[in-house]
Amino acid sequence: MLEPTPTLDPGLPRRYADFKTLPEALDYAAQGLRGLNFYSARGELENSISYGQIRDRAHEIGKRLVHFGVKRHSRVALIAETNEDFVCYFLGCQYAGLLPVPLPLPTSFGGRDGYTEQLHEQMKSCKASVAISAAYMLPLLDEATHGLKMEFVGSPDTFEAQSSDADIKNVELPLVEPDDLAYLQYSSGSTRFPHGVAVTHRSLMSNCHGIGRIGMEVQDDDRAVSWLPFYHDMGLVGMLISPITCQVSIDYLATEAFARRPIQWLKLISKNRGTMCSGPTFGYEICARRANSTDLEGLDLSSWRVAGIGADMIRPNVLEIFAETFKDCGFDKRAFMPSYGLAECTLAVSFGPKSSGYQVDLVSEEVLSGDVKSVREHKINGNGANYREVVNCGKPLPEYELEIRDEHDDALVDREIGRVCVKGPSVMVGYYMDEEATRQCLSEDGWLDTGDIGYMANGSLFIIGRIKDLIIINGKNHWPHDIEWAVEKLPELRSGDSAAISIPGENDEEVPAILVQCRKRDEEDREDLENRIKMEVQAVIGKAPKVILVPPRSLPRTSSGKLSRVKARRQYLEGHLS
Amino acid sequence: MTPSTTEIFDQVSELIAPFNQKSVPIKPETTFATDLELDSLSVMDMLAAIEDHFDVTVPLNILPDLETVGQVAEAIKDILDE
Repeated sequence: MLEPTPTLDPGLPRRYADFKTLPEALDYAAQGLRGLNFYSARGELENSISYGQIRDRAHEIGKRLVHFGVKRHSRVALIAETNEDFVCYFLGCQYAGLLPVPLPLPTSFGGRDGYTEQLHEQMKSCKASVAISAAYMLPLLDEATHGLKMEFVGSPDTFEAQSSDADIKNVELPLVEPDDLAYLQYSSGSTRFPHGVAVTHRSLMSNCHGIGRIGMEVQDDDRAVSWLPFYHDMGLVGMLISPITCQVSIDYLATEAFARRPIQWLKLISKNRGTMCSGPTFGYEICARRANSTDLEGLDLSSWRVAGIGADMIRPNVLEIFAETFKDCGFDKRAFMPSYGLAECTLAVSFGPKSSGYQVDLVSEEVLSGDVKSVREHKINGNGANYREVVNCGKPLPEYELEIRDEHDDALVDREIGRVCVKGPSVMVGYYMDEEATRQCLSEDGWLDTGDIGYMANGSLFIIGRIKDLIIINGKNHWPHDIEWAVEKLPELRSGDSAAISIPGENDEEVPAILVQCRKRDEEDREDLENRIKMEVQAVIGKAPKVILVPPRSLPRTSSGKLSRVKARRQYLEGHLS
Repeated sequence: MTPSTTEIFDQVSELIAPFNQKSVPIKPETTFATDLELDSLSVMDMLAAIEDHFDVTVPLNILPDLETVGQVAEAIKDILDE
């Protein structure tokens, strides 16, 4: 019978990513017993592979890539399924000195053309020369690579059959240096014009050290359980690479399996005594929404030490509902650990304090609207509409210098609101082959403008929102997610269904508008929905917006699936959305 | 003997019922997004119910081609026939 890799491994002293490169980190983990475990949608262990076995297979794949003649630093596109093949090819590229590029998978019904176009644009933008996916995905991959100059497109089996074992016997693997690029991460930029974040081994090891040593404080009996996709930075760095570099065993549930049966994730945590299990707010949301009493029976979440939250604006009310739903299963809400990060910083920038849950500042309307430029020292016990709960994202990792800057690029003091700028070894070297986009956010002396607005208080970072998304009406700032969250509470809407923007009015004044994905066709129903949306928005900003109902799935997203409000606004003004 | 496409369609229709909040009549050409007004997460919830009933797994590569109830019934038939 298949057994998962162990949590404990007394024979191998823990090292916290103090390696020069990812191959070196894997070589070290390979000396121990721990590894990766892949579970089926119904929670059965399908494949268990130790880091030693992964190293051996990745080595072999690396040699086959070199033997095939893939030139050093070439881009290798990999459809990022949650399985051994993806992991071994990703790591095989590391040994061969190539740049793997994880590509997304379909996430729901329909949308074939949009999906293949997204893959196509990503591969085109980095000039990938090899593309590999499971055999059953090849028709889609073939379509996506159409018109691109590729040296190889196929499945792992076909690729490995390109060379015999004798062929690769004497192949030498190149020496990988810390300043070599390790991979490309597509999660910023839009679907149509993607740009990949270029991550070096130095950045990767620095960030993994911060995540493992300081963020998570990895302990002997830690075990990760994850459903996050490998094509997203939180899944790839947070739930694959950093556990490898800190020698942690991981249990995986594929993202598509989680989407169907989210409770399986919690069952796995319960069964394998998971301790480090993270995700975006909506992951916690769907668990709470789908849980029924049979699911809760026998569920024991008391081992869960760090429930990390990140990747998107953190919504405290959702976490509260999750904690309430699972408190009788032993879930301790002090496990919640907010974090802040972005792909341009490899992954992590800051982590909240451990074992103390999430903390919020009540930020008043005056501050959010820009009337007052700094957050008051003392929290006021406000209620309802005049305040927003802003989550404490914790202290920046020690590797970073962090400044909150005003519009003249001057550093601000505690509790003053401005742009979040960071500098440190985890900051990307740039967007791959896109100097213009790089110049827009990365200064010559290495400061990255994250594009986020926030403030520092007692050494902790609070994020308010994205500067590009800010809606300014009559000199007052409005944050789009405040409006969207209110609207998405309506029963027929879901998170991600709306985009709050401002549009020019008749006299060129800014008018609030909200684009809402509507699945209703009946005229009366639509009108009724519009009216209720207006009321919700009015309650938030004191003004009725223009409501524009758009078809489902028509709001533009970035390649990591986040809403792109800037693009939605442009498309609407150009008449492409209505 | 695997059930016929018609039998599968009837069973799928029954499984969809809890998600069909507006009681739209279910026909093979009924679409999930526009007719049934389902969002992407509800679709996956429904798919889990369908998979459990037929004891199958609908592979990811087929999802982008599934827009209607009839297409889902055919996909299930193909998987059962394999």
